[in-house]
Amino acid sequence: MKTVWSKTYNWINERVELDGLVEFMGKKYVPVNSHSIWYYFGGVSLFLFIIQVVTGILLLLYYKGGEALAFESIQFIMSKVQFGWLIRSIHSWAANLFILTAMIHMFSVYFGKAYRKPREITWVTGMIMFFLALGFGFSGYLLPWNELAFFATKVGTDIAGVVPVVGKPIMEFLRGGEDVTGATLSRFFGFHVAVLPGIFTVFLGIHLLLVQRQGMSEPVSYADEGAKERKTMPFFPNFLLRDMLLWLIVLNLLAILAVFFPWELGKKADLFASAPAGIKPEWYFLFMFQTLKYIPGRVLVIDGEVLGILVFGLGGLLWLLVPFWDRKSSRGERNRFINYAGLGIVFYIIVLTIVGWIV
Amino acid sequence: MKRLSRMMMLFGLLGCVSVTALRAQDKCLSCHEATIGGQAVALFKRDIHHAKGISCAGCHGGDSKTEEMDQAMNAKAGYIGVPKGDEISKACASCHANAEKMKSFGSNLPTNQFQNLQESVHGKLSTSGKERIVQCTTCHNSHGIVSVHNASSPVFALNIVKTCTKCHADASFMRMYNPSLPVDQLDKYRTSVHGIRNAKGDVKVAECASCHGSHDIRNAKDTKSNVYATNVPSTCARCHSNSDYMKEYRIPTDQFDKFSNSVHGVALLKKHDLGAPACNSCHGNHAATPPGISSVSKVCGTCHALNADLFSTSPHKKAFDDRKLPECETCHSNHEIIIATDKLIGVTSEAVCSRCHGEAQNSKGYAAAKAMRSLIDSLENSEKKATELVNEAEQKGMEISEAKYKLRDAHQARLESRTMVHAFNEGRFRDVASKGVAVSATVSEEATKALDEYVFRRLGLGIATLAITILAISLYIFIRRIERRQSRGTQ
Amino acid sequence: MVNDTGSTDSTENRRDFLKYVLGGSLVAWLAAILYPIMAYIKPPKQAEVEVTSVKAGKVGAFEKDSGLIVRFGNKPVILMRNAAGEFRAFSATCTHLDCTVQYRKDMGLIWCACHNGRYDLNGRNVAGPPPRPLDEYRVVVQGDDIFISKKA
Repeated sequence: MKTVWSKTYNWINERVELDGLVEFMGKKYVPVNSHSIWYYFGGVSLFLFIIQVVTGILLLLYYKGGEALAFESIQFIMSKVQFGWLIRSIHSWAANLFILTAMIHMFSVYFGKAYRKPREITWVTGMIMFFLALGFGFSGYLLPWNELAFFATKVGTDIAGVVPVVGKPIMEFLRGGEDVTGATLSRFFGFHVAVLPGIFTVFLGIHLLLVQRQGMSEPVSYADEGAKERKTMPFFPNFLLRDMLLWLIVLNLLAILAVFFPWELGKKADLFASAPAGIKPEWYFLFMFQTLKYIPGRVLVIDGEVLGILVFGLGGLLWLLVPFWDRKSSRGERNRFINYAGLGIVFYIIVLTIVGWIV
Repeated sequence: MKRLSRMMMLFGLLGCVSVTALRAQDKCLSCHEATIGGQAVALFKRDIHHAKGISCAGCHGGDSKTEEMDQAMNAKAGYIGVPKGDEISKACASCHANAEKMKSFGSNLPTNQFQNLQESVHGKLSTSGKERIVQCTTCHNSHGIVSVHNASSPVFALNIVKTCTKCHADASFMRMYNPSLPVDQLDKYRTSVHGIRNAKGDVKVAECASCHGSHDIRNAKDTKSNVYATNVPSTCARCHSNSDYMKEYRIPTDQFDKFSNSVHGVALLKKHDLGAPACNSCHGNHAATPPGISSVSKVCGTCHALNADLFSTSPHKKAFDDRKLPECETCHSNHEIIIATDKLIGVTSEAVCSRCHGEAQNSKGYAAAKAMRSLIDSLENSEKKATELVNEAEQKGMEISEAKYKLRDAHQARLESRTMVHAFNEGRFRDVASKGVAVSATVSEEATKALDEYVFRRLGLGIATLAITILAISLYIFIRRIERRQSRGTQ
Repeated sequence: MVNDTGSTDSTENRRDFLKYVLGGSLVAWLAAILYPIMAYIKPPKQAEVEVTSVKAGKVGAFEKDSGLIVRFGNKPVILMRNAAGEFRAFSATCTHLDCTVQYRKDMGLIWCACHNGRYDLNGRNVAGPPPRPLDEYRVVVQGDDIFISKKA
C-alpha cells in the first residue's frame, strides 16, 4: 500500500511539483479552545453540499422536467426506482440541513469575528454562497411541481415583484412570464442544476482556497492575551480525520431521517385551483414571511410590503459588509455592539420562525 | 149533473189544494211543473235534495213559498237565477261546506270537497279564464243528484268511467289543457282485470276515483297525488291488502307487505328513489295486469336490460318456458325481491340453483352453478385480500397509488360477473371473473412487494448504521492513537 | 527489555487489530454506500414514468366524436370530443356502483358496461340505475395541448 501511494505521489510530483504545497499544508494548525466545536460547521456544510451534488446528479437520471411529467417522475423515483426513495429523501433532508449548518457556520464566524482583516473576502464569498444556497432551496422546492411548492413559488415571486422599480422585471424573469406556469418550472430547473451550481462552485473554490491559504482564524481574545503557548492541532491529519468522523455521523443521520421521516410528495399542482389554506414557505424563509405579515398595510407613504422588503435588503447589505464597517474587530478590540446585534438577530429569527410555524 | 160535476170540481180543487198544500214548501217546483215543465223538474223530483225537503230556492235562491213570480224570483229574496261558472260550485258549497248545515239534514258527508276541488288539478282556471275547469255539476249533474251508491248516479262505480271519459277521452278537449296527457285510458282499462269486472257489474273493483280520488285529484307528478310514484303502492294496497275485501277474489293480499320489504320497496318508499318501480311500473296503470310467464324478463328488462338480454339467450329461457316457470320471478320472487347476494348462486341450501339442479338431476347445471359460486367467492376473497394489503402499505407510508388505481378493475369485474351470471354459461362467466382475480393477484403482489420494501429499508438502515458505528468508533480510536503518538513525539 | 518488547508486541497487536477493524468497517461502509447507488443507477423494470392527468394529450391526435379514459391522479376521467370538435370531460366513475364508463359512438352517449347505465353527452344520467349525473371536469385547450382540471 505504502509503495503504491509513494509511487503515485512521486509520479505526480515530478510533473506538478506538489512538495511545496504538501509542506505548506503540513504546517496548518487549528486552535484548540472552548470554541473549537464551531470550526467543524464549515466542513459539515461542505459535506452536505457534496451530498447534494451527488444525490442531485443521481436524481437527474430519472427526473423529468416539465409540468406534464415532473410530479409523476418523482412518484416514479419514490416507488419504482430501487433506492429512489432513499436518494430523494436524502436530497430533500440534506438541503434543509445544509442551510441550517450554513447558518450556524455563518453566525459562529460572525460572533468569532473571523471576518475581520485579512479574511474579508472569505466572508463576502461565504455570504454570496449563502444567498445562492437560499436560491438553491427556493428553485429546488418547485421541481416536484406539487401543490405546496406551486403556491409557495407564487407567493415568493410575488414578494420579489414588490420591490420598487426593478421588482416587476425581476419577477417576470424568475417566472418566465407573468404567472407561475410550466415555463417557471423549466427556468427553475435550469437555475437549480446548471446556473447556481456553476456560480456556487466558483465562490466555493475561492472560499476554500482562502481558508487553506490563510489558515483558521483565532479568537479576538488571543491578541489581547499575548503570545502564550496555545493548544493547537495539526489540520492534517487530526482535524481532517475528526471532520471525517463528524461527516460519517451526519451521513448516518441523513439515512435515519430518510427511512423514518420520508419526504412527502403531496398532490400534483393544479394551475386552475385555488390555494389551500395556510400556505407558508420553507422554514428558512419563514421569519421574513411572518414579519411581512405583521407590517401594517401602509406605513406613512410607503406600502407595508415594500418597506419590509427594503428593510430586509438593507439589513442583508449591512450584514454582507460587516467586515468593512466593524473597525474595532479589525483592530483586535472587543466589539460588544456586534455581539448584541448578532444575538438580537438570532433571537429574532428563532422566535419569528417558531411563530410562523405555529400560526 | 151539473151539481155533481161542480161538486167533483170542488173536491178536485180541494184535493188539488190539499196536495198543493202538502207541497206548499216548493212553490217553484209546482209552478214550473205546471207551466214550463222540462227535464229539470222531472229530474229534481227524483233528486235527493228534494227528498230532504230542500226547494229549488235552496240552490237558486229566492222565495219558494209564494207563487207570485215577482216575489219568488226576486233578487232581494236571494234569487240568483241560473248560476254560471264558479257560482255553481259556490252555491253547492254554501251547504256542503258547512258542517252544521249538513248535520241538520242528518248527513255524514265530508265537508271539505269544495276546498279539495279548488286545490286539485280540476280547480285550475279554464281556458276562458273566468271560471274553474270543473264545477260540482260537471260530474254530479245539476238536477237529479243522488247518492254515489245509487245506481243512477253518474259517479256510481259502474257509471263513473263514462263520466270521466266525457272529457278525458276527448282528444281535442284535452289538447286545450294538457296535450301530452293520454286519452286512451278507457280502452286500456277495459283490457284490465279491473275494467273487465267493472263492465260485468262488479262494484268492488277499482275505477277511476278509487285510485285518482274524487275531489282531490292531482297531477301524477304532484307529490300529494294518490298516484304519485311513492304513493302508488299504498293506493293499490287500500284494496289489495284488505283480506276481507278481497276474499271472494281468491288472490293473495300480502303483496304490499312483501314489496315494502323488497329492494324496490325500500328504495321507493324509504329512500324516495323515483327510479325504483311502483306497482304500475310492472303491472301497468290503466291496463293493470300481471305480466305473462314468458314476458316477465322483458318487463324486468326495461330497467335490468343487460340481465334480461343475457337470460333470453341463456339455456334457462327455453327450460323455464317449457316448464311454465315465470322467468326472473322463479329465482328472485316477484314482490319480495331481496338483495341479490352471492349466496343466491351455488349448490348450498341457500342457493336457488339447488331447487332444480342436483348432482343426479340436471347435473350439468349443478356443476356450472358450483363452479360459478366458487369463482365468485375467490373473486371476493382475492379482492378483499388485495384491498387489505394495499391499505396496510398505504398506512405504512409506502407509495402505492398505482396499485390502488388498479383495484378499481377488480371491483368492476365483481360487478360485471354478477350480471354475467344470467347467461348461465360457465365459460363466459369464467372470462369475466378470472380477469378480476388476475387483477387482484397483481395488486396483492405489488402491495406485498411494498410491505417487504418497508421492512427491507429498516433492516438495511440497521446494517448500515452498524457498519458506520463500528467505523466511527474505530476511526475515533485511530485519531486518539495518532494524537497520543504526536504528544509522545513532542515530549 | 523483555517487558519493552512484550509491551511493544501487545501494543502492536492492538494496533494491527484496530487497523483491521478500521479497514474492515471502512470497506463495509463503502459497500453500504455503493450498493444503493449502483442499484439506483440500474434502470427499473418499468423504464419510464407513465403519462397521466392534467395534460391529457394533443388536440391534433384527438378524433372528432370519440372518447378516451385518462388518469387524473387516482381517478379515471373520460375526455370526449364531439362532432363539432368541442371537448368535454367528466368523471368516468359511474354513480351507480363505481364501474368505469365508456364512450359509445354507436349509441352517441356515455355507457356503463356493468348495469347498462347511460349518460347523455352532458353527463346527465338518462337511463338505467345511475342515480346522479357525472361530475364535470374543466377542459382548457392551450395551443395544441389539452388540460383537464377539477371544476372549481
